[in-house]
Amino acid sequence: MGRIDARRYLRRWESLLVLFLLVVLAYNITQVSNFLTAQNQANLFQLSIEKAIVALIMTFVIISGEIDLSVASMMALSAAVVARLNESRMEHVLAIVVALAVGLGLGALNGFFVANVGINSLAVTLAGYIGYRGLAQVFIEDNSVGGFPGWFTRLGQKGIIGPITFSIILFFIMAAVAGVILHYSGFGRRVYTVGSNARVAIFSGVPVARTRIIIFATSGLVSAIAGILYAARLGAVRSSTAQGFELDIITIVLLGGVSIFGGVGSMVGVLLSIFLVLNLRNGMTIAGITGNTQTGVIGLLLILSVLIPNLVSRAQGRFRRTPVEPQFQAPRPETVQSAG
Amino acid sequence: MKRRTFILSAAVGPFAPAILASVATAQSPEAGSGGAAAPGQEVNMMLLPKFLGIAVFDQANQGAQEAHAELENPGKLDFVGPTAENSVAGQIEFVTNAPAGGYNVVMLSNNSGDQIAPAAIAADEAGTKVVTWDSPIPGAEGESLFVAQVDFDETGTVMAEMARSILGEDGGKFAILSATPDAANQNAWIASMEEALATDEYANLELLEVVYGDDQSEKSYEQALALVDKHPDMELIMAPTTVGIVAAAKALQDEGLCDSIKVSGLGLPDEMSSYLENGCSPEFALWSFVDLGYLTYHASYALATGAIEGVEGDTFEAGRLGTYTIEADPTRPDTGALRIVMGPFSVYNADNPGV
Repeated sequence: MGRIDARRYLRRWESLLVLFLLVVLAYNITQVSNFLTAQNQANLFQLSIEKAIVALIMTFVIISGEIDLSVASMMALSAAVVARLNESRMEHVLAIVVALAVGLGLGALNGFFVANVGINSLAVTLAGYIGYRGLAQVFIEDNSVGGFPGWFTRLGQKGIIGPITFSIILFFIMAAVAGVILHYSGFGRRVYTVGSNARVAIFSGVPVARTRIIIFATSGLVSAIAGILYAARLGAVRSSTAQGFELDIITIVLLGGVSIFGGVGSMVGVLLSIFLVLNLRNGMTIAGITGNTQTGVIGLLLILSVLIPNLVSRAQGRFRRTPVEPQFQAPRPETVQSAG
Repeated sequence: MKRRTFILSAAVGPFAPAILASVATAQSPEAGSGGAAAPGQEVNMMLLPKFLGIAVFDQANQGAQEAHAELENPGKLDFVGPTAENSVAGQIEFVTNAPAGGYNVVMLSNNSGDQIAPAAIAADEAGTKVVTWDSPIPGAEGESLFVAQVDFDETGTVMAEMARSILGEDGGKFAILSATPDAANQNAWIASMEEALATDEYANLELLEVVYGDDQSEKSYEQALALVDKHPDMELIMAPTTVGIVAAAKALQDEGLCDSIKVSGLGLPDEMSSYLENGCSPEFALWSFVDLGYLTYHASYALATGAIEGVEGDTFEAGRLGTYTIEADPTRPDTGALRIVMGPFSVYNADNPGV
């Protein structure tokens, strides 16, 4: 086991995702008459684009061995800040800047508590999950606040290139940048190192605390961007905006083969997972399957994505008569560094 | 004219819609089109409630299914909806994807305010009509037609009348427990009740506050109790939602407060019978959601088959409910909104328990 297995496992998992994706695509193409139209393809991304954007940064968070449960509440908070400031007649661009700053600042604060104070990220971001949503409720109360400037809602709703919206373009740019940083930069290597074994990382001279703070701060910032885009797309903000999104986002990332224990995962896997989930949702919605069933199907996928790797590694362990190791083996730091 | 269209449609079968429409416009250019839509034509329908799991929406589906069978539509009628927490984004998703799903009509009980408008406009442009029922699109953009259960302006008066009959001639203080802040029907009814309260007739009724239970039982229950704590002099909770009224009545019953505080509003007789008996809710009102689903289906079918054009003055046959006419919607002036009004309220009390 060890480094080879982790990579082999990932590659096998990605192949499985490609297979799933092909099945879903085959179904959609043959059964859904307008599936391949540009409009439908744009809709497919547009209707979940905010979750897809946050999934990119969540990949970094989980590979680094942490979790961020506060992303959806942060989306709501940033949307609420923009809506309230807009309502109080602040220049809209300035309102957006303030909301982004709030996201960056609170994200960095999460990072500080995790990295410098040493509190578990589950606990820290659970506090954020409740606290940021609470703040959004204070700002918005039980209202639905809209009345955004026309350019803002057009940005969220109208296509820039044909039916392709600003959010979709931004997502693909961010995905490319995230992929390059994760797999081809020193920072990306540090993310894997920290996630594989933080103690080893510290002894190897990796700036663990700084890496974590940067990841959480970026998570806050990206969530704020996603929240603002969501506000622009819907045209109004409620305190319940984006409620429950964190679980969908984490589902997508785990389904992409990223290990919940850290150290393992790839941007390709997460992108495949995003495409799979979006196509599945699109197909199910068009086929007239209700929201409850859709949630059930996605939930089943999550269960499988967590169960299968564990069962596989357990079976392999038994087969080789070696003790079952805690999970599917993170690559060791030196491995990952040589991989880059 | 009606007879002639019937013979014509029987003769030309599946090609009826275009011919019917042209015949209708040729013969009555002055007042839109009208008549009965020929049964047996293929129209794919989506019935999209605010979200699933609410009794009255199931009843609307029952009515729509009845009409679907009656009109022998070989197309599909899908009753789909988002989950309660995801109502706004979920409704937008269903409407956005409706043209790709091959739906000719989306019958929508809007829970997304004007936020759904871009999706409705896009659907309309892609050839999928959006017919609203129960709750319209406030700005009417993308909406072909709204099937109103009752005259929305009348709702306020009916609620004010019930409030006075419960509180007595001396009046009193009450609060409103609504559904969600984006529900157009709720907002229109509350506005119309506030208008009624401003008249001398109901001057001694005082509205303390409007709170929102999001049409979720638990939240509505908590909101009702919060009202009790906040306003010791409150004597009535008015809930113009079938979920809210049950939750409020249960909250007051559980706390043993029904002697001093009553509940009223819009409720299903089935769900309210025990609270009617024990006096927690001596009077409430509603209409038939089965009929609303039935009428919405007939209107949508007539529109999709071209039997009506969907302009002011169009008349059509809605099966067992009789003839209806499309009119400008006076509750949404300056939007070009069109509506059909189904019918009057049924008020339920000890004399008319409704079950």
